[in-house]
Amino acid sequence: MGGEEVGVEKATIICRCNDVTLEDINKAIEAGIDDFELLRKYLKIGFGPCQGRGCLLIAARIFARRMSKSLGDVLVNYSVRPPITPIPAKYFTTVSLAFQGGEEVSRGGKS
Amino acid sequence: MRILIIGAGVSGLFIAYELLKRGLKEVLVLDAKTPGYGASLRNIGCFRSSFTSREHVLLMKESIAKWLEIKRDWGVFIEQRGYLWIARREDTLDVFRELAKFHNSHGVPTRVIGVDELSSREPYINTSIVKGALFDPTAGKMSVIEVFTELYIRVKKMGGIIIPHTPVERLVSSGGIVKSALTPRGEYAADVFVVAAAEGSRKILESIGVNAPIEPSPRHPLVTEPYAEVIKSGLVIDWDTPGSPHITQTQHGSIILARDIKDEPWTPLNSQRHDAFEKIIKPLSELYPFLRNVNVNRYWMGYYDMTPDHHPIYGPVKPFENLYIAAGFSGHGLMMAPITGVLIADWILHGRPRISVAENLVLERFETGRLVKEIAVVG
Ligand SMILES: Cc1cc2nc3c(=O)[nH]c(=O)nc-3n(C[C@H](O)[C@H](O)[C@H](O)COP(=O)(O)OP(=O)(O)OC[C@H]3O[C@@H](n4cnc5c(N)ncnc54)[C@H](O)[C@@H]3O)c2cc1C
Repeated sequence: MGGEEVGVEKATIICRCNDVTLEDINKAIEAGIDDFELLRKYLKIGFGPCQGRGCLLIAARIFARRMSKSLGDVLVNYSVRPPITPIPAKYFTTVSLAFQGGEEVSRGGKS
Repeated sequence: MRILIIGAGVSGLFIAYELLKRGLKEVLVLDAKTPGYGASLRNIGCFRSSFTSREHVLLMKESIAKWLEIKRDWGVFIEQRGYLWIARREDTLDVFRELAKFHNSHGVPTRVIGVDELSSREPYINTSIVKGALFDPTAGKMSVIEVFTELYIRVKKMGGIIIPHTPVERLVSSGGIVKSALTPRGEYAADVFVVAAAEGSRKILESIGVNAPIEPSPRHPLVTEPYAEVIKSGLVIDWDTPGSPHITQTQHGSIILARDIKDEPWTPLNSQRHDAFEKIIKPLSELYPFLRNVNVNRYWMGYYDMTPDHHPIYGPVKPFENLYIAAGFSGHGLMMAPITGVLIADWILHGRPRISVAENLVLERFETGRLVKEIAVVG
């Protein structure tokens, strides 16, 4: 029975971009990572091209349940970062946008 | 003795680590957010001792020695792959020769290399636009997240208490002694206080009338999808292009691209700029033409916590008897962190640091005007 469970954990992929399994998450929690942002970064969940769309909520739920925290508490410091999908760098090597490469432009004020 | 450290970044945690290692039992670390939320998990993980001030060179040399011990003892990814400062212009090589002289006189073995050696170290570099490089063989890169997580786990296992979501709003003092730190979640009393809250340190110290001149300057790194190893060095820096575009590759394979783009201090960290992509990618794709074929996966912002002379503020905060600071690392706080821990622990337990140049970096220097100079900030 125990052996079977380990097999299931190992076979359950949470993050497809970086092949993170349920077992990886459980092991990280057991090692003492009790902060979700740290765990997420440590395992590179949401670091792949899907930007967390496929895996973030699943991982956060598993973590919340294991740590007896609410989902809101677990995700409080998560921030979405651009671009939404990977952008080919070539778009920025040939065309020139509003600003020239070497020129330094500063924005006025704080927002 | 109960120690309260404010800020659970790499500085605060290394100070906690060092104090616990020396047998202290009550070490608390408070953070406004979560551990590593500041620059400590937003940086690009590189280290070097080839600076242009004696203070930086001597402290970084000791810090690198500590990193190599950590690599051995913790089994984490830390590698001396070398830094390359690239010259696009012939006369830049003269500047490099001067810098190498300075480094060599302090025992840092940098040297100027020609295009042949450069292309054997960085086979994908476009040799038709470069004239040579300054090479620092002792510099390198590490896996920041792995190192930080390991540090966090170790501090906790050693008995350190790390409390997230607890911003210190002000300190309370009486008769030259700090008594407690006030937070929305209650008041924390302690015998010794250490402020290691990067740019947040400024407001904390203002509450007891101390001015720590730290200004956060936004940085804008991009990261690509993972690829096979294409950047072999720790860091490659395009010295002759304004804003020193630089590039490194993580252990995971992602390529990190960055450049110093002028931005207002204190600009919020969710103000990503559309012009960053072109500004960063264009000069680097001249150096590494293969960059035209990669995909950029993410873009984030983080602060360099700058001081007027680009050196950290270390040590006792006068006139208070039990207050210390370690902040204002001006872009180099990760590489310094192990030695930061050692020095601050020395100050707390023995009244002075084991490396005496650290005493040049106390807060009073901004009042007495004894500033330290550093010109090579990026990287
Ligand atoms: C893009 C980028 C690249 C970099 N590259 C490198 C590099 O290659 N090598 C290198 O050595 N360095 C690099 N740095 C710099 C390095 O990341 C920092 O110097 C270092 O992380 C500073 O660590 P710290 O612990 O002092 O500060 P931080 O990591 O910023 O931690 C400060 C902590 O204090 C907390 N805090 C703030 N105010 C309060 C308050 N009132 N109460 C409680 N807590 C508070 C914050 O939440 C934060 O967690 C880079 C930085 C950036 C942004």
